[in-house]
Amino acid sequence: MGALVESLRGKRIAVCVGSGGVGKTTLAAAVALQRALAGGRVLVCTIDPARRLASSLGLETLGNIEAHVPAHKFHEAGLEPKGELFAMMLDVKRTWDDLVARHSPDRARQERIYKNRIYQQLSSALAGSQEYMAMEKLYELATERDYDLIVLDTPPTAHALDFLEAPDRILDFLGNDTARALLAPAVSAGKVGLRLFRLGGTYVAKTLARFTGVEVLADLAEFMGGFQGMYEGFKNRAAAVRALFAEPSVGFVLVSSASPRSVDEALYFHERLHAESMPIAGVVANRVTPALWPGGGALPQAGELAAALGQRGVAGPPLAARLARTLDEHEMLARIDAREVERLFEATPGPHVVLPRLETDVHDLAGLARLAAAL
Amino acid sequence: MVASLSSAVPGPALLDRRLLVVTGKGGVGKSTISAALALLAAERGKRVLVCEVNAQERVAPLLGAPASGSEIREALPGLFTVNVLPRDAMREYGLMTLKFKTIYDAVFENRVVRYFLKAIPSLAELVMLGKVLYEVRVEERGRPRWDLVVLDAPATGHAVQLLRVPAAILDTVPPGPLRRDAEWMHALLVDPAVTALSIVTLPEEMPVNEAIELDAAVRGVLGMPRGALVVNAMPDDRFSGPERALLRELADAPPPLGPAAQAGRLQAVRAEQASRYLARARAALDLPTLLVPLLVRERWDRGAVEAVAAAIAEGA
Repeated sequence: MGALVESLRGKRIAVCVGSGGVGKTTLAAAVALQRALAGGRVLVCTIDPARRLASSLGLETLGNIEAHVPAHKFHEAGLEPKGELFAMMLDVKRTWDDLVARHSPDRARQERIYKNRIYQQLSSALAGSQEYMAMEKLYELATERDYDLIVLDTPPTAHALDFLEAPDRILDFLGNDTARALLAPAVSAGKVGLRLFRLGGTYVAKTLARFTGVEVLADLAEFMGGFQGMYEGFKNRAAAVRALFAEPSVGFVLVSSASPRSVDEALYFHERLHAESMPIAGVVANRVTPALWPGGGALPQAGELAAALGQRGVAGPPLAARLARTLDEHEMLARIDAREVERLFEATPGPHVVLPRLETDVHDLAGLARLAAAL
Repeated sequence: MVASLSSAVPGPALLDRRLLVVTGKGGVGKSTISAALALLAAERGKRVLVCEVNAQERVAPLLGAPASGSEIREALPGLFTVNVLPRDAMREYGLMTLKFKTIYDAVFENRVVRYFLKAIPSLAELVMLGKVLYEVRVEERGRPRWDLVVLDAPATGHAVQLLRVPAAILDTVPPGPLRRDAEWMHALLVDPAVTALSIVTLPEEMPVNEAIELDAAVRGVLGMPRGALVVNAMPDDRFSGPERALLRELADAPPPLGPAAQAGRLQAVRAEQASRYLARARAALDLPTLLVPLLVRERWDRGAVEAVAAAIAEGA
């Protein structure tokens, strides 16, 4: 109790990571709420279209701009925050567009990039794009706004690697020296499009064109041309983002459920963070089934339960049989969960927090506050 | 139980398609359901291939077979598995396009080109999906190589990204080789005689919300034929109303009754919530629902998959 809060005390950025469906978004909101209640100016930034997060914070919707959680919502929930809470949802396409606008030398270049088909795919659909933009937005918020704490809820990555590798991967794409070399003659001549074919006199380029079609290469050439001169800006910024993540004022919070799969992913993620020297502020095992049978001895049989029910004037061998089976199943789930939590905690640094599976989902500020208190 | 496996017809028409796409929120049991559906089809004498896409392989290990990697392997009689990986799919696709291995090696094994191919957005997705759909399309001795291909697709967002690649290419890429491939792939994906996309969910709030959003995407941007909504891990209603009231009273009693009543009360709460979310899913989605009961198992192995398959066969 309080261990995670303690560990996050000096942090300015908390990044919640873990596989999908482990309650990451709700946990991120609870971490943010905890600090806001204690007196901080806090922002929680989510990636998922988290409608429930919006409604549990008393907001209509979440957008790319920070929304202030109104004071009366806190009062209605019986909470007296000493600080302030803001929330936003990342809009990947908008963040890309802003980034391009920031680095474009002029309006015409900016428009040309916006219209390019490769850019349109990149900014909306390319794998890793979302992860890259999450880090980019975080950097912007951390450097340009005065929050005491920013809590980032990361995208549910299919592969934990995506999140850390995305900037490099995308930059590889934008600044690919080898690809640029291949396209350079057309690009530097400012004559892109079908003229690319001229440079395609080479064996390699010709074969590639057979594979992808000339137009795709032309689009790509135009795109690379558009980004020419801007690449350095992108690269420097990405390097700054990366450096920011390694600072001691940043803390990663690993979130997992007790399912073997999410524990596997959390462990894998832990290894990666460790290898990259990124600071881990805590590990949360969420939605863990608590054991109910004291001492872990043999579970009661139906007969024993029927007798106990009988003593209370309840006649019910059938009920007793169902209860015995239910307790048996429950304890099996608790045992399996405990085994997985142990596997998670043994391999990761503390503080370790176990949050029991709640009877109802968190729906409002009061619910979030209860969760925050358990951190 | 086992007898009903071969006689029951699970999810009318569901197994009669040639491509079954299975997706849903992360952690809802997609791979288990994919494995169970494949098992059912194989039990009925079909030749089945289960494809995972650039995943940490789950299906073959679930069935007690070694991971297959990017080579198609027979996990059980008549049931084959493969994990489609971008690099190998690219190679296969390149070889198919260029015909000659020497040309492929000269061009595609070139480090420069490798970088370049990585730079083309969605190309990796296209070739991976292309590999899966090629297996759906390919014939041997005048009949399809597979009676059924099950695509254990990535979670919601990534699945939509993957499945919409052909349509996106048709929208954005001018005529050429990429477009030609995107055309036949798209045609297969939207053909109701061939394909059905089923959504797996848990009877919980977030997975149900995501299932509803996913279904909107299936009808909208993907335009794919819809199969069933598979509601996984459904707790049964085992306590009556009066019994629930009694359990609430008894929850504070000393052992053995207290803990047992507490477990019963929690089970009842979960069952109640689950039926509420199931009702919500049913109201929002006009899809046939397939209920898979919550199975409490010490380990998720082939026995567990067989139990799920039996439950699907029974419930359908």
